[in-house]
Amino acid sequence: MLRRIAIVEDDAAIRANYADALQRYGYEVSAYGERRNAMEAFRSRLPDLAIIDIGLGDDSEGGFALCRELRSLSPQVPIVFLSAHVSDFAVVSGLRLGADDYLTKGVSLPHLLARIAALFRRVDALAESKPVEERIVRGDMELDLKRFSAQWKGRRIELTLTEFWIVHSLARHPGHVKSRDQLMRDAELVVDDATVTSHVKRVRAKFVVADPAFDAIETAYGLGYRWKA
Amino acid sequence: MTRFPLRAKLALVALALLVLPWAGWRYVREMERFLLAAQAETLAATARAVATALHERPNLLAYRARSESGLRIEAERELQRLTGGVIGHEDPTRDAEADAEITAILKGLERASSRIWVVSRDYHVLALAGSLKRPDPAPDSIAERALGWLLAPPTEDFDDAIAEDAIAAGREVSAALQGAASARTRNTRDGRAVVASAAHPIWVGDQVHGAVVVEETTNRIASLRSQALERLLVATLVVFALVAAMLLWFATRISNRIRRLSDEAETAIDARGRVTRLTTASDAADEIGDLSLSFTTVLGRLARYNTYLEALASRLSHELRTPLAVVRSSLDNLHAARTPDETRTYVSRAEEGLARLSSILSRMTEASRLEQGLSTAARERFDAAAVVRGCVEGYRLAYGKAQGALAPRGFEVSVPAAPVPVLGAADLLAQMLDKLVENAVDFAASGSKVRVLLASNEHEVVLRVENEGSALPDSIRDSLFDSMVSVRSEQSGGVPHLGLGLYIARLIAEFHGGALHAENLPGGGGVVFEARLSRTV
Repeated sequence: MLRRIAIVEDDAAIRANYADALQRYGYEVSAYGERRNAMEAFRSRLPDLAIIDIGLGDDSEGGFALCRELRSLSPQVPIVFLSAHVSDFAVVSGLRLGADDYLTKGVSLPHLLARIAALFRRVDALAESKPVEERIVRGDMELDLKRFSAQWKGRRIELTLTEFWIVHSLARHPGHVKSRDQLMRDAELVVDDATVTSHVKRVRAKFVVADPAFDAIETAYGLGYRWKA
Repeated sequence: MTRFPLRAKLALVALALLVLPWAGWRYVREMERFLLAAQAETLAATARAVATALHERPNLLAYRARSESGLRIEAERELQRLTGGVIGHEDPTRDAEADAEITAILKGLERASSRIWVVSRDYHVLALAGSLKRPDPAPDSIAERALGWLLAPPTEDFDDAIAEDAIAAGREVSAALQGAASARTRNTRDGRAVVASAAHPIWVGDQVHGAVVVEETTNRIASLRSQALERLLVATLVVFALVAAMLLWFATRISNRIRRLSDEAETAIDARGRVTRLTTASDAADEIGDLSLSFTTVLGRLARYNTYLEALASRLSHELRTPLAVVRSSLDNLHAARTPDETRTYVSRAEEGLARLSSILSRMTEASRLEQGLSTAARERFDAAAVVRGCVEGYRLAYGKAQGALAPRGFEVSVPAAPVPVLGAADLLAQMLDKLVENAVDFAASGSKVRVLLASNEHEVVLRVENEGSALPDSIRDSLFDSMVSVRSEQSGGVPHLGLGLYIARLIAEFHGGALHAENLPGGGGVVFEARLSRTV
């Protein structure tokens, strides 16, 4: 069965390029340039995955509104934000609305495709009646590699796909230092060091909300990060 | 150019006030001259009056030798000496009544402080009345005594004897005996007083039988002059002191206002181009207030321009992102689509260019994201020594593997063994150190070491990064930490240099309550970048 992906992006060239790449990969693509069109289409038929640009036409936060409406229609559909904004504020706002990941517009297509594939894998794993489990347990943390979810002391921590990959990369080998380069590769990203730093900071903040004494992610200054053994 | 402050200038101007006492003194001198002239006239009038009383009385003026007054004898002797003894001996008898009559007339005409004598045709003194000395000289006031050493006061202590030449050489006497009234001023023999004298002939018929001489000291006028000058001096000093004090106070006030304004203007715009409003004198309704407002306006413009420049980088990066995404996604598609080998080369080249563009973009973003992040970042305590140690380990690994033009670098680190607590963000400190070390490595002479030192005293924590190499030109030393300022010459290959590294380092230093500055090493062998962070923010 062909998966259907919806792209909502106001720039025609990017929209067309992404649509071409996704189709070549084997997905069915519906591309929309405006929020109104996209919402109508969603109401009649939900996509299997949505890629939404935050700045749509005149409305610089139209993407957020669209995300909220889509989420209200379906809590499971994977939503990925795409935007020119890189500020932490934009990322955090986007993620609060329930998006699964946040990417900047410079992302390369192979990276985008890797994410989409992983998100579909997660959907499948969640939908299985008898869930096949593939778990990693490290101290108080439990990672479900099929569902791409994390639990700390039994409490579920909401992580985006990117963040999950970072945590997985660190926790796989506790005590080993992972450089930012390595974390980027594992998270299917090509960004600058500061972006990796802010991702790790956000991950820490999410764990700390669940457990104020959380300190499993240690910074090795000048080298990178490590999961406390 | 030596400094010539406002107060000194006003002091010089105040010296012009000294013309007042000088003018007063001249005035007093004029008055004195006038009074002296008046005195001379009075003396002449008195002589005339006395002479008139003695006119046409020939018997009165015959010579008498009766009195043994020492004065008279002395005068006679002198006369004899001077005139060569022409004067013969005349009949020494004299009518006692005539004598008494002259004396009575003279007594009636007696005035305090003037001396009248009657001289006969042959220079014999016939009668003498009065005294040159004043009866009760006024006591010296304090001021007079004080003035004494400036202007010699008139004194009654003088020798009032008739000097040797007083009579004979007296022009006025001889002139009078020739028939013309005359006057003269002379010093006393000891020079301590000045005597004015007037002489008038005594006529009998149309022959001169004698002369009347009236003498008076000028002491009274001199003491008047003295008193006037004393009052003038005191008054002038008081006025001068008052005016000088007022001018000084005014000058100090203006000078202080200007200096306060100048200080505030200098500190009003900080290194980041942020402007605080000038408060000194901005509401004063004079030229200094205007100056303050002008400063505020100019500084405001400067601040707006700086803000515009700083926002430029972030605006540009935001705008560039979408076109970059277009190019990238097109190239990605091109890469994946079936294309002849020929186009593959061009695709790879385009991708290389794209990678460089992206790198530039991400560096530009780094600065603006840091600025945003700093405004909301939380501060916590951490050990700076651990951070620096860890970072240098990382540098040794990272730069040790560098190839090509960068020879393997040595890193020296000097960090206290005890923890160095700092309030701030450890990540940011590491980022700042990264930037400084990157800078040092780029400029270090090949094969030389880069030194990282951390030290702390009770007030601040000092982090130094030193490298050997060429010195820092003075001209760019202050602007080195501004956004987008680069002093490197173009290097082939390598990472494009935007001049943001030091700007970011400076932002982080300021976040930690400190400052960053660069200096040439003493001896000129290299450059040191020093960040001073406060221990308590």
